[in-house]
Amino acid sequence: MDPNIMQPQSLEMKQDGDKFVIPIGPQHPALKEPGHFEFTVDGETVTGATVRLGYVHRGIEKGAESRSYVQNMYLVERICGICSHIHATAFCQGVEQLAEVEVPPRARAIRTIIAELERIHSHLLWLGVAAHEAGFDMLFMYTWRDRETVMNLLEGITGNRVNYSANLLGGVKCDLTPEIITAIRTGLDFLEERTQHYLEVVTTDAMFLRRTQGIGVMTREQAESLGVVGPTARASGVARDVRVDSPYAAYSEFPVTMVVDPAGDLLARCVVRVKELFECYRVIREMLEHLPEGDLTTRMPRRIKPAETISRVEAPRGELLYFIKSNGTDTPERVKVRTPTLPALASVAEASVGHQLADIPMIISGIDPCFSCNDRMFTINDTRGNDKTMSWEALRQYGIEFYK
Amino acid sequence: MTTEALLDTGRELIAPWTKEIAEPEARRLDAVIEAGDLLAAVEALHNAKWGYLSAITGLDQGVEAGIIEVLYHFCNEAAVLTLRVRVPREAPVVPSLYGLIQSVTFYERELMEMLGVTVTGTPNSDRLFLPEDWPDGVYPLRKDFRMEQLHEA
Repeated sequence: MDPNIMQPQSLEMKQDGDKFVIPIGPQHPALKEPGHFEFTVDGETVTGATVRLGYVHRGIEKGAESRSYVQNMYLVERICGICSHIHATAFCQGVEQLAEVEVPPRARAIRTIIAELERIHSHLLWLGVAAHEAGFDMLFMYTWRDRETVMNLLEGITGNRVNYSANLLGGVKCDLTPEIITAIRTGLDFLEERTQHYLEVVTTDAMFLRRTQGIGVMTREQAESLGVVGPTARASGVARDVRVDSPYAAYSEFPVTMVVDPAGDLLARCVVRVKELFECYRVIREMLEHLPEGDLTTRMPRRIKPAETISRVEAPRGELLYFIKSNGTDTPERVKVRTPTLPALASVAEASVGHQLADIPMIISGIDPCFSCNDRMFTINDTRGNDKTMSWEALRQYGIEFYK
Repeated sequence: MTTEALLDTGRELIAPWTKEIAEPEARRLDAVIEAGDLLAAVEALHNAKWGYLSAITGLDQGVEAGIIEVLYHFCNEAAVLTLRVRVPREAPVVPSLYGLIQSVTFYERELMEMLGVTVTGTPNSDRLFLPEDWPDGVYPLRKDFRMEQLHEA
């Protein structure tokens, strides 16, 4: 791969035989986060793809080694602005396992309720982005309007819209009052009705179907071999969900049903995520109905004896894995984070080959990539990266010549 | 299959190459194997379709211990099987899993640039996410990394 892809001169279009390479990004029209993609095309058909990330890398894993467990809880929550609560939950669970501390049932249920509300917010956000990439801006506006409902609920519970800071080591810091429980129920009723409408739209709207049906197909075998997780895997028929496979927090008392679709195309990824929303509404209602009484926190030791642990949770994008090693002090020896976007991005290179260049924005957004999550530690570079790049201007010229 | 049954199957699959094995927590197995046996052990898990490679963790044990541990975490439902490979800190080398698991290149490249572990046979050993002007031979996740190293370089 050209090491100078960030240099302006490398963004020039070059022709290599009949092969063109089209660079997209790091700042690019499809996503609000930076990622650089290079697509090799034969005419309009994509023949290869490479990915390079790292533009929002912040060295959080190294930073975690010089901060106490309490400070780290706030640090890891800032890995991602969308799924912040699930990062903090994974970290807290890991530290609690190391300290051999049992979290009270009410605290586990509240953690789970906030995690499911966060999933609703994340899936609605994604549906809006996908609709926007498909040119369906009305759907985008509606989903993001409705997402405000769940954002307001999260703000009502925790006081924050984004980094909720609901967790403490050993419990949670916010309780659910009868007023907020009523507000959550009202909000869920509204969202459920809206989601019913969205499911109808994404499965029947002819224009949206043209952009999603049969596009970006990833077979079950591909998904399994790439180790893809979360809704992207479940939309390829791989039954993989940490909430079901290895229940944590309150999921053993309040189990969720896995939503699996064997089709593997973009439509399946839409349908799986929208159907998961119904499952979120159902499980939150059930938890509110049977919310355990009792304490919100339990006592945590400040120093953690030397040990290692693995904490896995189901983030909105799939399995999130934390490896934490303690050394007897109040500071971890090592914190390793593997976010779900990483294996999903590998699928972009696989799924885009053979498609029209025009499908690429949908394929990229179809995996619901979260670069900030990923760039905490990864940059990806496909092996087929020896191609030359072509500039936007030259590409424009090419387009003009093409349609003359 | 229950988690215990899954862990038992995993234990049997890697038994020929296991030097030490521990159950650090419920649902987890931690097996120490030699770097030279890594490919054979992973192949056994891969051929039996035992779970998927979820992550690779690099652990620097510090200058005094002189060891870097490379942990390969395989997840299968609730079961997590970790293959632990210990390599000398001065010349850390592990073989690439690319021949078995193509998506592993991301994890391996991160291991190379963050901890300075050489992964032999990996198709692309370019820098992954560190900036292009990051000095050679400076590995940020090693325990003796100092910010001054960046200024010196």
